Amino acid sequence: MKNIVEVKNFKMTFVNKTVIKDLSFDVKKGEIFGLLGANGSGKTTTVRALLGFYPATGGELLVDGKPYNPEDSSVNIGYLPEERGLYRKETVIDTLEYFGELNGVKEPREWGMKYLKRVGLEDKANERVEKLSGGQQQKIQLGITIMGDPKLLILDEPTKGFDPMNRRLLMDIIEEHHKKGAAIIMITHYMDEVEKLCDRALLLKDGVARAYGSIAEIKKEFGGKSLDQIFVDVYGGENE
Amino acid sequence: MNSFTWKVARFEIVRQLKKPAFWAATLLMPLLIGGIYFISFISSQGVDENPEISEDTKVAITDEAGVFSAQAPYIINGDKEYGIEMLKNGEVDLYFYIPQDFLETRKAEFYHVSEGLEILNFDANILKSLMMQDAASRVDPADILALTGGYEIEDKKITKDGSDSNALGKAIIPFVVGILFFFFITLCGNRFLMCVVEEKENRISEMILTSVSSKHLIVGKIIAMLTLGFVQMLALIIPVGILVFINRDGQIIAPILAMIEIDPVTITLSIVLFVFSAVFYAGTCTLVGSLVATAKDASSFIGPAIIAMVFPLYFMQAFMVEPTLIVQFLTYFPPSAPIALMLRSGFGTISTPEYCASLAVIAVTAVIVIRLAIVSFQKNAINFGTVNLLKKKSKKS
Repeated sequence: MKNIVEVKNFKMTFVNKTVIKDLSFDVKKGEIFGLLGANGSGKTTTVRALLGFYPATGGELLVDGKPYNPEDSSVNIGYLPEERGLYRKETVIDTLEYFGELNGVKEPREWGMKYLKRVGLEDKANERVEKLSGGQQQKIQLGITIMGDPKLLILDEPTKGFDPMNRRLLMDIIEEHHKKGAAIIMITHYMDEVEKLCDRALLLKDGVARAYGSIAEIKKEFGGKSLDQIFVDVYGGENE
Repeated sequence: MNSFTWKVARFEIVRQLKKPAFWAATLLMPLLIGGIYFISFISSQGVDENPEISEDTKVAITDEAGVFSAQAPYIINGDKEYGIEMLKNGEVDLYFYIPQDFLETRKAEFYHVSEGLEILNFDANILKSLMMQDAASRVDPADILALTGGYEIEDKKITKDGSDSNALGKAIIPFVVGILFFFFITLCGNRFLMCVVEEKENRISEMILTSVSSKHLIVGKIIAMLTLGFVQMLALIIPVGILVFINRDGQIIAPILAMIEIDPVTITLSIVLFVFSAVFYAGTCTLVGSLVATAKDASSFIGPAIIAMVFPLYFMQAFMVEPTLIVQFLTYFPPSAPIALMLRSGFGTISTPEYCASLAVIAVTAVIVIRLAIVSFQKNAINFGTVNLLKKKSKKS
């Protein structure tokens, strides 16, 4: 299976603090990949460097064989960042239409209406985003993430702050896009989600990979322990 | 235009056009101008210098001072009380009382029956008109012309070599462009700053930069903001132009219009200067917006930005004569160059090559600040909350 993401000898230093020491991994097309680690282990930094927000101090970060360019229509990435928001003063449908246009959706307004119907928000189409509840805004953010059928979905702490309804919606979306052949990178603390969904995973600590491979391989490497236990062992009981 | 730039620009233009605040700011100035014109129009109606009394209007005057000639109409023999009684009885519509000491005090009294709706005193000038008519029957027309000053003096200035100078006429176009630019920076500055802060403040920058590059995002936003700014300028220019056209034969407008020197080079350079300056200003505001984290941080920079732009006005005297070192500096220092060029062009103290050189400085700097804004936005896109590069720097120093 070909790689959609390749990270080779990635190093990242901020002023005088080294966040990533030497990291290499790949994500294959069509797989669900878990990027795991405690807070401050460098997960989000890696994703931000992959997307070009941070220039890497060293190494290479490639998406479909080349550095990521958001306007390259051959690779459409759907990114749900940890810090997420919306244009608060815009209407829901205008927001979806705008992002749809940027993501190459052919009829973005129609796509937006269809999505709103799916998530039960069609009556909110012309409401301002700021009038929506937190849960409803999450649904809009999810909609933006999956616009244009991305080949790669990057979900940073995707269930953080999600109510059970939206968590279910997210899981459905992950499954749906996985079936369509999209690769998915999940950054999460929830090991049950990783065990249930991910094909492979990487566990980061202090900027280096402490475990990397399929879920079965990782478990085998750590004597058949559960991922939860492995996490605790690697971090030595550190309080997150 | 790249399709991403166009998509961003269209989105920004449409969303601004939907905001009532945009239209309030756009229409405020034309409404103000229209209002002032309307009031002055009404006022001018009220103070007709030469009112004519209709045949139906009955007037009475008690002239104790002997201002009017004996054969003048409307003069009655009765005193003030008699005149007021005539008004009350409806025998006359208007009554004027000229007291004995009128020539010393220059105060006469005017009586009429109030109908309760008078906004302005429409009949106050009737006495003046009657006195003028009466005087005109007694003196030579040449004396009237001399006394009333009812003639015009054509202002002809010449230079030492005898040619027509018309310095004021040459200054009008550059100064009008200067005034428009001042309106432009005051109306649009805040919007330029806020348009890039919004993504960070709403924590949407990561999502948007996954879909569009910071280059096309920033350029699209700048194009949108400039377009909206030019729309606002048109909303100002068009009503003023209409009013000038309507009053083109008026006492104030006609001489000014006659004075304006239409020089294609000056007009072209002034338009190019306005556009370059607007782009430079937009780029500068965008750069500041990309460095700060919140709208509150951004708003504190708008005042200093305007002061930097209008700084040459503090040295107005220096711009009127041969350029000094400070004038030269302000002409080539990008933030002050737009206003400095407008002033020097107006006062005729700059040559065309020097003007073009300064224009080039503004254009090159505009490109540099826009590029910096693009890089800065990309780097600071994830500086959420109160993290602020400019604050950090000032704290260090």
